[in-house]
Amino acid sequence: MTAAAFDAPLRRRSRLGRKVRIAAGVFACVVFLFPVFWMVLSSFKEQRDIFTVPPTLFFTPTLETYISYMQRADISRRLINTVIVAAGSGLLSIVAGAMAGYALARIKLRGAGTIGVIILLSRGVPPIALAVPMFLVARSLGVTDMHITLILAYCTFLIPYVMWLMRGFFLALPKELEESAMIDGCSRFGAFFKIIVPISMPGLLSTMIFSMILAWEELLFALVLTNRYASTIPVAIAGIAGDTVNGANWGALTAVGTITVIPVVVFALLVQKWLIQGLADGATKG
Amino acid sequence: MGTVAIRSVRKTYGQLEVIHGVSIDIADGEFVALVGPSGCGKSTLLRMIAGLEEITGGEIAIGGRVVNDVVPKDRDIAMVFQNYALYPHMNVRDNMGFALRQRRLPRAEIDARVADAARILGLEQLLDRKPRALSGGQRQRVAMGRAIVRQPNVFLFDEPLSNLDAKLRVQMRSELKELHQRLGVTTVYVTHDQIEAMTLADRVVVMNGGIVEQMGPPLDLYDRPKSLFVAAFIGSPPMNFLEGIVDRDETLVLDDGSRLSLPMPVRGKARVTVGIRPEHLALAAIGWPAVVSVIEPTGSETQITARMGDHVIRVLIRGRTEVRPGETIHLEARAEDVHVFDTGSGRRLTAEALEGADR
Repeated sequence: MTAAAFDAPLRRRSRLGRKVRIAAGVFACVVFLFPVFWMVLSSFKEQRDIFTVPPTLFFTPTLETYISYMQRADISRRLINTVIVAAGSGLLSIVAGAMAGYALARIKLRGAGTIGVIILLSRGVPPIALAVPMFLVARSLGVTDMHITLILAYCTFLIPYVMWLMRGFFLALPKELEESAMIDGCSRFGAFFKIIVPISMPGLLSTMIFSMILAWEELLFALVLTNRYASTIPVAIAGIAGDTVNGANWGALTAVGTITVIPVVVFALLVQKWLIQGLADGATKG
Repeated sequence: MGTVAIRSVRKTYGQLEVIHGVSIDIADGEFVALVGPSGCGKSTLLRMIAGLEEITGGEIAIGGRVVNDVVPKDRDIAMVFQNYALYPHMNVRDNMGFALRQRRLPRAEIDARVADAARILGLEQLLDRKPRALSGGQRQRVAMGRAIVRQPNVFLFDEPLSNLDAKLRVQMRSELKELHQRLGVTTVYVTHDQIEAMTLADRVVVMNGGIVEQMGPPLDLYDRPKSLFVAAFIGSPPMNFLEGIVDRDETLVLDDGSRLSLPMPVRGKARVTVGIRPEHLALAAIGWPAVVSVIEPTGSETQITARMGDHVIRVLIRGRTEVRPGETIHLEARAEDVHVFDTGSGRRLTAEALEGADR
C-alpha cells in the first residue's frame, strides 16, 4: 500500500489519543457491563445474600432460584413462546424487508424515495400509540393471545428497520452484478435470488439476528396483545418485578433475566463474526 | 447473423436528452469502437444495445430483429463490464458456466465449452479459484471467458481494459484483437482511449455530446477528421492548431500578427483554425519560423516543442536532430496534410471534407 508512508506520522501523533480512546472504551464497558455482572452473580445467590452490605463476592453458588422459578411462573413455556415469536418475526421481516430494500435500492420507480421515507417515518410513531389500536383490532378479529398476532405486530417496526439496513447494503453492491446476471439469462428476480442473496448472506443473517434480538426483548406489544397462552419472557419479568402482592422477587428476576440475556449474547457474538467477513469481496476489480 | 442496426436512437432522462438521434449500422463480424470523452453517451448507447437502458426513441435491431422491447437475456449478447462483475460466491468454472446453466444446457456440453474457453484464455489452472483469489488481469480474462462460452451473436465491451495497469492493458489489447480475429463475432467496444479504439477496431465511431461526430475506418478518421473535435481527439501526440484570419486566400494571420502562408487556397472564411499533425511538420530551409523550447529524443524519433507567436507547436521527426533549444527553426507541411476548420462551427473546410464524408 502506497498510503503507508503517509500513515506513519499520523499514527505516531495519535498514539496518546489511542490510549485515551482505549481508556474511554474500558470505562464504558465497565459502566454497561456492571449491572449484567451483578445480575448474573445475584442469580446464583440465595435470596438473603443479594442485598448484603458490603456485597458478598465469595459464596457457594446455588441453582435454587433457577429451579424453583422455572416451575412456578411457567418460564419454560414462555421461553418457547419467545423463541417462536422472535424466530417468526425475524424470518418474516428479513424476507419482506430485504425484498423491499432491494426494490428501493435498485428499481427506478417514480416516488421510490418518498415511499422509503414514509416507511421510515412510520418508525417514528411511539409504539404506545399503536399498542391500543392494535389490541382493539386484534380483539375484534379474535386473534389476541396468539403467536401470529405478536409476530405481525413486531413486523410493523422490524420490516422498516430491515428494509433500510438492507437498502444501504444493496446500494453498496455493484449493480453490474445483476446486470451481468440478467444478460446471462436471469430475470430481475432470478438475479436477486441467485446472485444478490448468496453474496448478501452475511448482511442478511446479521440483520435477521438483530431483528430477532429486538423481538426477543420486546415488552409493550407483548404485554398488550397476549396474556396467558402466547405471552413472552419480558412479560414474565415485568410480572415478577411488578408483583404487588408478594413484592419483587429479586432472586427470580436475576435468574430469569440471566436466562433471557444468554441467547442475546450468543447471537450478538455470531453477528460480530459475520460482520467482520468481507462482503462482495472479489466481485470487481478489487 | 450478428448485425446490429441502430436507427435514430434517442435517450432522455426526464427532461434531459443525452443521446440525440444516433444511427450506426454494424456488419456481421465487424469490430466497432465507440469512443469519446466521458459523458458523450457511448456507454449509454452500449447499455441500450444490451437492454440495460430503455430506448426512448428510434430502434435497435440485432440480427435483423428489433429488440427495443426484448429483455437482455433474450438478445443473444454477452457483455464484459469495466469492473468485470464476476459473481464472488462462484469459482471461475461456475462463473463461466453460469449463463449456460441458466439455459439448461446438458452438463457435458457446459463442461466442454468452459474447458474450451479456459484453454483459449489460459485459465485452465484457475478454474477452481474464487474471483477474490485472482489478479486483475486474471479477473479480466474470466470476464471475457464468461462472454466467450455463450457463443453470442454480439459481444459488448464496456471499457474492459481501463482497470488494468498500462503494461497489462497493452497485452490484453492485442489478445482481444487476436480473439476477435479468431472468433469473428460482431463486437461493440466502448472506450475513452482513442489509441485502444484505433488499434482494435475495424471502424471507429467518435461520439461527443450525444451525437456521432464521425465514423469510419481508424485511419480515415486520422487522415480526414471532419471536425475540430475529431481532429483534436484522435492522435497522440495531438494535432497542432493555429487560429487566425485568412487574408488573400493563402495567408493566415495569427492573433499576434504573424503571417503564415498556407500551402493551398482557403475560400472566403473569416476565422479559421488550421490543424497539422506533429509528424506532418518537417524542418525546412524556409517556411514558418518557430523558436525551439524543448527537445525530447526517444531514439527512433525526436519530439520538438517550439513557440510560434503565442502558439505552442509540437513537431515529431524521424531520427535525431542537431537543433538546440532557443534556436529558430523553419517548418513546412504538404498541402494534403494541412486541415482547415471553420473556427465557429468546427467543421472542416478543405476539399477532402466533402469526399471523406459519410462513409
